[in-house]
Amino acid sequence: MLLTQRNVYILPTRPGFMLAATLLVLLVGSINYQLNLGYLLTFLLSGSALIGMHLCHGTLRGLTLQLLPPQACFAGRSTTIGVDLVSTRTTVRHGIALSVLGAHQWVWTDVPPQGRATVQVAFKPERRGQRPIPALTAETRFPLGTFRVWTVWQPASRVLVYPAPELHAPPLPEGEPRGGGAVARSQRSSGEFDGVRAYRRGDPLKLVVWKKFAKAEELVSRDTYHAQRFELWLDLALAAPGHNPPSGAPLEHALSRLCAWILEAERQGLDYGLRLGPQQISPANGEAHKRQCLEALARYGAQG
Amino acid sequence: MLDKLRHLPRDARDTLFLLLVIAWVLLPQLGRLPLWCSALALLVLGWRAQLAWTARALPSRWWLLALLALTIGATWLTHRTLLGRDAGVTLIVVLLTLKTLELRARRDAFVVFFLSFFAMLTNFFFSQSLLTAAAMLVATMGLLTALVNTHMPVGKPPLREAARTAAKMALLGAPLMLVLFMLFPRLAPLWGMPGDAMAGRSGLSATMEVGTIAELALDDSIAMRVRFEGLPPRQSDLYFRGPVLSTLQGRQWLALRSGFPTRMQEPANLNVEGPAIRYQVTLEPNNRPWIFVLDAALEKPAAPGMELRMTPELQWLADRPVADLLRYSAQSQIRFSHGPARRTAALQDYLELPPGFNPLTMQWAAELRRNPEIGRDPARLVEFALQHLRSGGYSYTLEPGIYGPDTADEFWFNLRTGFCEHIASAFVVLMRSLDIPARIVTGYQGGEANAVDGYWVVRQSDAHAWTEVWLAGRGWVRVDPTSAVAPGRTGSAQRLQQRRGVIATAMDAVNPQVWFNLRATWEAVNNSWNQWVLNYSGGTQLDLLRNIGFTSPSWEDLGLVLIALIVATSVLGAGWTLWERHRHDPWLRLLERAARALSAAGWPVAPNSPPRSLADLVQQRMGPTDPRTPAITAWLLRLEALRYARAGGALGTLSELQHEFTRLPWPRRPPSPRA
Repeated sequence: MLLTQRNVYILPTRPGFMLAATLLVLLVGSINYQLNLGYLLTFLLSGSALIGMHLCHGTLRGLTLQLLPPQACFAGRSTTIGVDLVSTRTTVRHGIALSVLGAHQWVWTDVPPQGRATVQVAFKPERRGQRPIPALTAETRFPLGTFRVWTVWQPASRVLVYPAPELHAPPLPEGEPRGGGAVARSQRSSGEFDGVRAYRRGDPLKLVVWKKFAKAEELVSRDTYHAQRFELWLDLALAAPGHNPPSGAPLEHALSRLCAWILEAERQGLDYGLRLGPQQISPANGEAHKRQCLEALARYGAQG
Repeated sequence: MLDKLRHLPRDARDTLFLLLVIAWVLLPQLGRLPLWCSALALLVLGWRAQLAWTARALPSRWWLLALLALTIGATWLTHRTLLGRDAGVTLIVVLLTLKTLELRARRDAFVVFFLSFFAMLTNFFFSQSLLTAAAMLVATMGLLTALVNTHMPVGKPPLREAARTAAKMALLGAPLMLVLFMLFPRLAPLWGMPGDAMAGRSGLSATMEVGTIAELALDDSIAMRVRFEGLPPRQSDLYFRGPVLSTLQGRQWLALRSGFPTRMQEPANLNVEGPAIRYQVTLEPNNRPWIFVLDAALEKPAAPGMELRMTPELQWLADRPVADLLRYSAQSQIRFSHGPARRTAALQDYLELPPGFNPLTMQWAAELRRNPEIGRDPARLVEFALQHLRSGGYSYTLEPGIYGPDTADEFWFNLRTGFCEHIASAFVVLMRSLDIPARIVTGYQGGEANAVDGYWVVRQSDAHAWTEVWLAGRGWVRVDPTSAVAPGRTGSAQRLQQRRGVIATAMDAVNPQVWFNLRATWEAVNNSWNQWVLNYSGGTQLDLLRNIGFTSPSWEDLGLVLIALIVATSVLGAGWTLWERHRHDPWLRLLERAARALSAAGWPVAPNSPPRSLADLVQQRMGPTDPRTPAITAWLLRLEALRYARAGGALGTLSELQHEFTRLPWPRRPPSPRA
């Protein structure tokens, strides 16, 4: 958005009123003591303050705000919105602060001459889904602090907000037997689906969970036997026992749990599938798969 | 140390800079403040700087409150009041320095700034010289720089950058300052000033005791400046009349304390002849109601805003003390006579002598009056006394030594040396002993022309005392006995110089002319400052209006001109805003030009069409085969890409597109069918 006379507002600040009072007292002093030099001082300060007002307005006027493509984020977690401030002026624009309107978490920046400055404005989305970017505000008090010049900008863009991952979510659900294989559940020792086991000499390299190695420096292999016979399905019905189909608060809670499970499964490097009622994403693994699943969670119920 | 200075954290650097500016603001005050206050200011500023330098915590608020209570108590003890000018100055300095110990939030910084502005104003109570103005301009720039700097919150920008912004504001604000200064109506004081506003300025004294004029003779500061219209009179005629001292009490001369009621006293009875000399005087403040004019001015001098009257002793007085630079114009005639023509009873006042003093002089006078040749003729007695001064081994000095109580005896018979007041006093005592009415006139004699701007400069060292004797048929006659003793003291530019400083002496040794010229130039500059800035008054404002065409300007006109200027400026500003609103986006303007070029050909261009739909229109109207189509569509698509594509190098800049715009084969309006 280009800032012009139309959308840049200006009002004196409290120090501005203090300055006005000071000038008045200086003027009265000059009159009462008949000090011509006092008049000069008073009027020089008044002139400077007036020019200061103009400079203050000019700091924002002519600036262009550009929204960087917003990154998807989790509800309830602090994230940032990237904004580019582009200036065509040949001088620096000093002391510009940006914040989400009403949040008062200011990020300060200078914009270099004929250049751009990128700021990350703190932002905490409350609800999942395709949310509009909140209204942003930019303000400056440069150079004298006697005026506040600000603008309000509602970017016409949306950001995808995933559900908040549940804290202390229960362990991943058990795997489901693949295609009709009848395996007694009691065979499993841990009672939870992990699908991995410690590395044994001779395990093929492609079975090693490298992700885990990178994090913990322990070699872990996919349990091929287990993985071949069980597959992990993260099902909305599993996440919300007792509600079918869930809606309202239980639904959000279930989506949070699913979100936590997806992150956990991804962390363990497991293949997982997602089942949201009729919508189904077959098991896979990796960044793209995770994003697909999270997006499905974010949008769940929105299209209908 | 220098290295540490460069790598100081931003907070510390900013604080040190602000402290430096505050110290600069307070520097001219230090000599004038009570000693404890100066010491406190220096200590606190030093302490605060130390805290900033070593990055230690500020003292607690209780400490500050205790200090504040203490200093307010001290102010009360010093001035016996918390109101009034001097107490106010002390309080402002105290508050300002103590507030630096509490620089925590931005609000505190603002308080410090605004207190500093007050402290600057208080400087002007004592001096409004060019030097003070320059020093305070530096201070203003320093304060503005510090203020701008606090509003650059990112990183640690160099102070130079803030200084540049401050200078820009001051420079652009200067025209406004000038307009306001010239047109803001000069009001009379809104309420009465505390009495101490007038204290502390030097000048001639209302009484004369041995030694007081010697001090003045050592004071080289300027008493007044005079500009003559036409040729100036001779140096020996430049007698600027001040207080007349007619009553001697012991060794002290006072203004006339007549034994007669007012109605019996003689009027001035001034008669003038010869051409008038017109001149303007710029009088330095002397805190006295004395208006110095050349002997003798019959016409009332024109001093704006003051009521003047002439005393029977020919001195012009104002209705209030001259507390600020005062400019007045006057006209004088150097040929004049005044006083009664015949001997009257009131002249007895000018024969009074304190009993018991100066026995030798009395005895000498008695002898002279018995002298058959001259004893009967006052004029010849005066001439005899002057001749005696010339040939009797008397000399002029600024260091006459200590006189006893019989000052006339000491001069005539013992020390035989002195300066104008000793000589004048001894002369008048002798005259009165000879039964000739006589009195002392003080004022300034002489002056020197400044070659740079043509003003005559009269200094405090030109202060002088001469005498007037009354002669039957002639009235009061000026007699300057000092010129009999030392012809050089009056009548030429040569002066007894005060003892010079080391630099001045060195300058003299190299080239006295250089020193003289330097001083003349400096004083000319200072004089223009006085004429144009310090003496800019309500009268000057009305003159200004007269110059721009008002026939009989008044305060209302001044206000009207000011308002008209403000309105004109606002209209200009509004116009500029409108213009800028249209101008705001060069890209949009270029797009608009393209749209206009297409609609000029009679094509239906939808308002606010983006470049791409314009390109589609071109494709559709010209047809893809037309050789002009690819050039125009390519240009339009580049225009689009410039705005909406991610930054890339190959697109070219807006100015390139603007340049190409004129060379594109835009479609023409189909020729209208000929008639």
